[in-house]
Amino acid sequence: MTRTRSDHRKVYRFATALLAGLGLVLLSGCKLAEVFSLSGPQSTMVTDGPVAKSQWDLFMVTVYVTTFIFVVVGAVLAYAQIKFRAKSEADEHAEPAPEGHGNPFIEIGLIAASVALLVIIAIPTLRDIWYTHDVPEDEKGNAMEVVATGYQWWFKFEYPSETIKLPNNAGEIPLVTGNELVVPANTPIRVLLRTVDVIHSFWIPKLAGKVDMMPNRPNFLWFKADRPGYYYGQCAEYCGESHAIMRFRVIALSAADYVKWLDNQKQAARTVTADAVPTNEAPHAQFASLKLDERQALSGSAEFDANPLAAWKKMQDPEQNEKAEAVAAGRKLFQAKTCVSCHTVRGHEGIGVAGPDLTRVGARSTIAAGVLENTREHLHQWIKDPSHFKPGNKMWFGGYNTLQGEDWQPNPALTLNDQEIDSLVSYLHSLK
Amino acid sequence: MAKALAKSSFTEVGHAPAKTFDLFPRPTAKTGLFGWITTVDHKKIGMMYGGFAILFFLIGGLEALMIRTQLIVPNNHFVSAQLYNELFTMHGTTMIFLAVMPLNAAFFNLLIPIQIGARDVAFPRLNTFSLWVWVVGAILLNVGWLSHFVPSWKFGGAPDVGWFGYAPLTSKVFTPDLSTDLWVLGIQILGLSSIVASLNFIVTIINMRAPGLTMMRLPVFTWMALVTSFLLILALPAIAIALIEVMFDRNFGTNFFEVSGGGQPILWQHLFWVFGHPEVYILILPPMGYVSEILPTFSRKPLFGYPIIVFSGVAIGFIGFGVWSHHMFTTGMGTIATAAFSIATMAIAVPTGVKIFNWIGTLWGGRIVTRTPMMFALGFIWMFMMGGMSGIMHSAAPADAQQQDSYFVIAHFHYVLIGGATFALLAAIHFWFPKFFGRLVPEFWGKLSFWIIFVGFNCTFFPMHFLGLNGMPRRTWTYDSNMGWNEGNMFATAGAYLLGVGIFTYFAVLVYTFFKGEKCGNDPWDGRTLEWSIPSPPPEHNFSAIPTVHARDAFWYEKTHKAEIAQEKAALIKAEESHGGIHMPDQSWYPFFSAVGLLIGAYNMAQLHHPVIIMGKDVLSSHMPLAITGGVMLLTSCYLWALEGPAGYHIHLDANGNPPDSHGGHY
Repeated sequence: MTRTRSDHRKVYRFATALLAGLGLVLLSGCKLAEVFSLSGPQSTMVTDGPVAKSQWDLFMVTVYVTTFIFVVVGAVLAYAQIKFRAKSEADEHAEPAPEGHGNPFIEIGLIAASVALLVIIAIPTLRDIWYTHDVPEDEKGNAMEVVATGYQWWFKFEYPSETIKLPNNAGEIPLVTGNELVVPANTPIRVLLRTVDVIHSFWIPKLAGKVDMMPNRPNFLWFKADRPGYYYGQCAEYCGESHAIMRFRVIALSAADYVKWLDNQKQAARTVTADAVPTNEAPHAQFASLKLDERQALSGSAEFDANPLAAWKKMQDPEQNEKAEAVAAGRKLFQAKTCVSCHTVRGHEGIGVAGPDLTRVGARSTIAAGVLENTREHLHQWIKDPSHFKPGNKMWFGGYNTLQGEDWQPNPALTLNDQEIDSLVSYLHSLK
Repeated sequence: MAKALAKSSFTEVGHAPAKTFDLFPRPTAKTGLFGWITTVDHKKIGMMYGGFAILFFLIGGLEALMIRTQLIVPNNHFVSAQLYNELFTMHGTTMIFLAVMPLNAAFFNLLIPIQIGARDVAFPRLNTFSLWVWVVGAILLNVGWLSHFVPSWKFGGAPDVGWFGYAPLTSKVFTPDLSTDLWVLGIQILGLSSIVASLNFIVTIINMRAPGLTMMRLPVFTWMALVTSFLLILALPAIAIALIEVMFDRNFGTNFFEVSGGGQPILWQHLFWVFGHPEVYILILPPMGYVSEILPTFSRKPLFGYPIIVFSGVAIGFIGFGVWSHHMFTTGMGTIATAAFSIATMAIAVPTGVKIFNWIGTLWGGRIVTRTPMMFALGFIWMFMMGGMSGIMHSAAPADAQQQDSYFVIAHFHYVLIGGATFALLAAIHFWFPKFFGRLVPEFWGKLSFWIIFVGFNCTFFPMHFLGLNGMPRRTWTYDSNMGWNEGNMFATAGAYLLGVGIFTYFAVLVYTFFKGEKCGNDPWDGRTLEWSIPSPPPEHNFSAIPTVHARDAFWYEKTHKAEIAQEKAALIKAEESHGGIHMPDQSWYPFFSAVGLLIGAYNMAQLHHPVIIMGKDVLSSHMPLAITGGVMLLTSCYLWALEGPAGYHIHLDANGNPPDSHGGHY
């Protein structure tokens, strides 16, 4: 203990200056309030369903209890630090406080108080473990079941209760969609969670906390949307290269809208006929020259995000200015370029099941599993270079490129020029 | 030689070692490369552990800065998705296995023998073996980075399966790269190193305590080291089994986790977290020990509630084995299991809270001297409390369903592992640096680095609570700009750079101090435990006479009973000399050789089914012969190691405890 106190003051002065300077830099650099904002589309605070709400309410119980503990213990600690600080050189060398090794009554009292505070958390925790686990008994009759299956890196949704008759009495299959789960609002939804490859996790923050999709394990979760809305979901378990962009959407509709949507979904894929085409439409933009500004949101433009549910509903209607020739050319390319072997377009040629079902891809608000807003430009860019948006995806590795020995080589059967991609986009967007 | 023989009490009482088998002459160099790689001195081994650990701590920090740079703006392309996955995998693996654990091992080595009044650990050569085996594991984990620069090494980069390596992502179907095989073997070998070292420390602490040093007089750090060592030997077998199963799945066609063969990936998670959760306490208990040494020293008051701190440490270690599934609340365990693990997790908060109460009790009524180590120790209490509070939030399983695998969890465990473990380690480095290098770290620069680290750390991780609550999942390479995460990420990245500046300052000051720092005496902090009673840096034999311990804070007692202790010491030195001087163990080549054998064996084992290609030519169709060569080298070295025997030599001291002839003869 030979140091002097003068250098301490220097440290504090410097530290204060540093803190103030840093605070200024950070304050001017970004809006501080935004840093702590919880208003995003995946907020766990601004909830829209009873499961997510009970989870947030329980979280707040833990926040109150732990904040109370922190404030009380912190106050004592801060008091001790200030009160018992050696204030001078002499103080440091003063006779140490009397030797004492603890007081059993204080210790036991503190342990008892800690236990009591934890019980306050434990009781609602136990209640909510049972509540969030499965649909409550009194609502079971009203509940609807869907199957969500995780793939590297997208989601398939099946509606086991909504079956479609195949032509020629070939049996019935359940309705299948991809990356957008459409459900009726105010109805408990029980999601059966499956995976075909690795572990994924199914998470719709505003509606319910996550449950993992485990291989060889029949997991499930339930949620209910309090009102019609457009919700963001995301895979929450690391599942390989493009885990970060394995996203999906949940669209909750009013009962009437849901029935309308269901009726349309059950139809075979739409075919554009020549007389549906209005004349003298403007030509589409030249896609090759389009630049992508990646600082802008890729998955939702400002117009889309302003009212996503309304924007989504608008996408359900066929586009204006459809060009029947382009659509027909696209449909041929879809077959010629082997797209059909991985994607199903029910009623058309597509029969593959390795990739998402595209029967109504034109009516979906996003492509590439929630990564890109489903505009003509984005779809064009996605088809042109899928690995830019989703590294490691199977359309790139296995479709555009094939494995030759140990190396991936471009697949000569699958080359597309901009005009061909344009036709494919027209075809895919006609599928509403 | 003859003189030493004549003086050796061992020869007199018939303990002369049998003629041993010497393939090589035993190394005797005390300095230079061979001196260091063959050393059995616990202090040199501790310094090497510490040096390597700090190197990897800086590498892991660099990985973290690259991660934060990628996330500074949405849709960024600073690194690719693949590289990002390698970075977060290796950041976690490095910080846990190659930075915090070996830094703790460094302090175990440096301090335990001295704190218990011993001259070395129980098995000095085994100690050397632990160190070099650890280096082998570190090499295997990191060698994949080189394959980014050497295209002919087809490792597929560094490991990219996450530090937790969840099956079935580790299956050959999903990660065919060699990087995963190297990860499996690397972790396995680090586990081997830890088990060997832990057994060594357990035996040392239980058997080699100085006279009078009862268990309830052990310094709290040594107590925590003992608990940690038990946790390691009990927890590591679980991960060892799991890693062997993955290795067999990948290379020999078994189906432990292979879904197509009926395997159960959930089994991996249970085995991993049965290891992984005690691992959390393996990381944090030694730091609790450092803090329990530093707080009394700078409050100038004994630790408040010593027995309760010790018992709560043991309780944490014990309950720590019963809470692993709280890492798995979202795996669909069912209501009963979830409830049980939820309650158990709340229960473990109690002994942890008790420690905090007792640390505050230690400060209470003391005279708090705010030197740099004390600043870090107080910072530890505050930040660890923050991490503890968010830990309690996670114990509420339904709430955890929203937080699990989100940035909230990242905030939580960085508060525990940086604000907790790392702050305590930085305090410890600062506190014991004068002891082992004889120089004091300048106060001004120490405190400056503390404040930069403290501010930078909080700027980085506090916003992450909010990012997590706003739905940002972890382990994500990129995010879109309409999610409300832009400002939080920008802020966190700025904080991370500041934290980087702080860490750089801290270590730059240490390097300066090493060369130019102010010299100090034996006891610069007015310490309480035995290490402060011996010279700085300590001599090879630590104590000129093994001390007799009379009280809990042994050296504090010595300082307050000077006359009595001086008499006792002189008598002890005389007695020891009459027994033939101080017996020191001999150095050995074999621990290092066996580690080299292990490296050759494991490196080739990882690539077993691949042809050996040298200069573009297929030399061998498989790595099997090379793997066997390494294995044979390992076993041969162990055998020769057993044959050579411990041997040793004597150091003779004069009545003042100074060595007149420090080169004791060999026998």
